[in-house]
Amino acid sequence: MEKITLEICCGTTCYMLGAAPLLKMESLIPKEWKEDVDVSAVPCLGECLSNKLCNAPYVRINGKIMEKATVEKILDSIQKIIKEKQ
Amino acid sequence: MNDELFIEMECQQFTKTGQFACGDDYQMLTMEEENRSIAVLSDGLGSGIKANILANMTTTMALRFLQHNSDLLQSVETIMDSLPVCEVRKISYSTFSMIDTRLGGKTQVIEMGNPRYVHLRGLQDIPAQKHQKIASKDWPDREVDCYEMRMEPGDRIIVCSDGVTQAGLGRKEYKFGWRRSGELEFMQQIIRDYPNISAKDLARSIAFEAQSLNFGKCIDDISCLVVYLRHPRILRILTGPPFHKEHDRIFAQLAESGANEVIICGGTTANIIQRELRTRVNIDLKLVKVCGDLPPPSDMVGIGLVTEGILTLSRVCVSLEDSVDVRKVPLAAREIIQRIEEHDIIEFDVGTKVNEAHQDPNLPLELELRRNIVKRLGKVLEKKYRKKVRINYY
Repeated sequence: MEKITLEICCGTTCYMLGAAPLLKMESLIPKEWKEDVDVSAVPCLGECLSNKLCNAPYVRINGKIMEKATVEKILDSIQKIIKEKQ
Repeated sequence: MNDELFIEMECQQFTKTGQFACGDDYQMLTMEEENRSIAVLSDGLGSGIKANILANMTTTMALRFLQHNSDLLQSVETIMDSLPVCEVRKISYSTFSMIDTRLGGKTQVIEMGNPRYVHLRGLQDIPAQKHQKIASKDWPDREVDCYEMRMEPGDRIIVCSDGVTQAGLGRKEYKFGWRRSGELEFMQQIIRDYPNISAKDLARSIAFEAQSLNFGKCIDDISCLVVYLRHPRILRILTGPPFHKEHDRIFAQLAESGANEVIICGGTTANIIQRELRTRVNIDLKLVKVCGDLPPPSDMVGIGLVTEGILTLSRVCVSLEDSVDVRKVPLAAREIIQRIEEHDIIEFDVGTKVNEAHQDPNLPLELELRRNIVKRLGKVLEKKYRKKVRINYY
C-alpha cells in the first residue's frame, strides 16, 4: 500500500491555534498504522493567507487540506483512508 | 575581501567561590561616530559586594573620563579621591586597565595595578610603541602605565584581573600562579588551533582555564577582557514576504551570497526561498521533544537555519532585552541568539507584507508587526550587545 502522507503546518497562525500537539503525531499514531503513515512538517501550508483565517490549524493528508485539525480528527481520517484501501 | 573593520570586545568573568557578587567590573562603549571603542576592567579591593562597589565606581568614572578625553592624571586622581576608604585596611583601592582603540588601529592601553596587557598579532606578543609612567603627587605609590600601539587587522589585546595571572596559586607546579607567561602560552596555543577565534570565545577559554587551575574553585574573582580588530562577520536574517510579489526573486537571492551565515525566519518566507532557489526545508520532528514552546528549528539545504517568524523573533528580542540565560531559551530562539553572538554585523532583510491572519483578534496581542519587532531587536543589539545593525525593507 502506498504510504499516507501527513503534513503538519509549522506557521505562526497554525502553531498558535493548536498545531503544537499535532507536531507530536508521529508518536500518537497507533503501532499497527505506523508503517502506513509518513508524518512530516512544513514551514507553512499557506492556508491562512487565503482568507480562511479562523480555520487553523491546518494539516494536509494525502494532498487534501484539513481545517481545524485535531489529533482525533487526524486519526479518524487516517483510519478511514486505511479502511478504504483495504 | 571585505575592507570593512570591526572592533569586537567581550569579557568573561567568574566570581570568587563563596561570594555572591564579583569584585571585578567591566564596562564597554562603542562610539560609532568616532569609529572608536573603549573598555575598562577594574578589580576592587578585597572581594564580594565591597569590592564590587569599588570596581563599579572605578569603571563608571574611568569610562566617562576616557569617553570625554579627560586629562589622564586628573582622571586617576579623581577616581582615587572618590573611592570610599576600606574600614579594615584604611585605604581606598582598585586597580584598572583601560583600552581605547580606533578602527584605524591607533590604540592606547592605560593600566594601574592590573597584570600587564597582552597584544597579540597572530601568535606574537607585540611590545608597545610607546610607554610612559605617570605618578600622582597625591598618590605617589600609585603609578599609571600608558602604552601606545597600532593594532592591525587580526590583532587582539587581552587584559585580565589578577585572578587570572594568580590562578593555580597553592599548587606545587604554580608556585607563583599561572602568571602572564602561562596565560600567554595558553592563548598562543588556542589561537594556533583556532586562528579566527572570536573575542568572546577567547575570553571564555582563558577564564575557564584559569578556573580549572584551582580545580574549578575560584580563589579570586576572574575576569578576562578581549578586544579583537577584524573583518566583520555578517549574519543575514531574512524575514517576511516582500510587499510586491515581483521582488520575491531578488529577496530570495539574498540568501545565497554576501553574508557569512543566513537565517530565514518565517514559514511563508521559507516557502518563497524554497520556490525561488529550488531548494527545500528539512524539519526534523524529533526536535519537537526538545524545542520548548516554539516551533522546531529546521534547515534549508545549502542555505542555513530556518525558524518560525514572529513568535521566535519576539522571544529572541525579549530574551536579549532581559539577559535570559540562553540555556533556558526555547531551541529555535536559542539557535538564533547563538548565531547573533558569533557575528558582528546583523543585517535584517524584512519583507513588509502583512499576514492578515496575524491581525485576527483571537490571536494573542504580542503577535506584533514584524517591522516593530525587528526595530526593537535592532535597538537592543546595538545598545546592549554592541553589534552593528542594518535593516532593509522589501
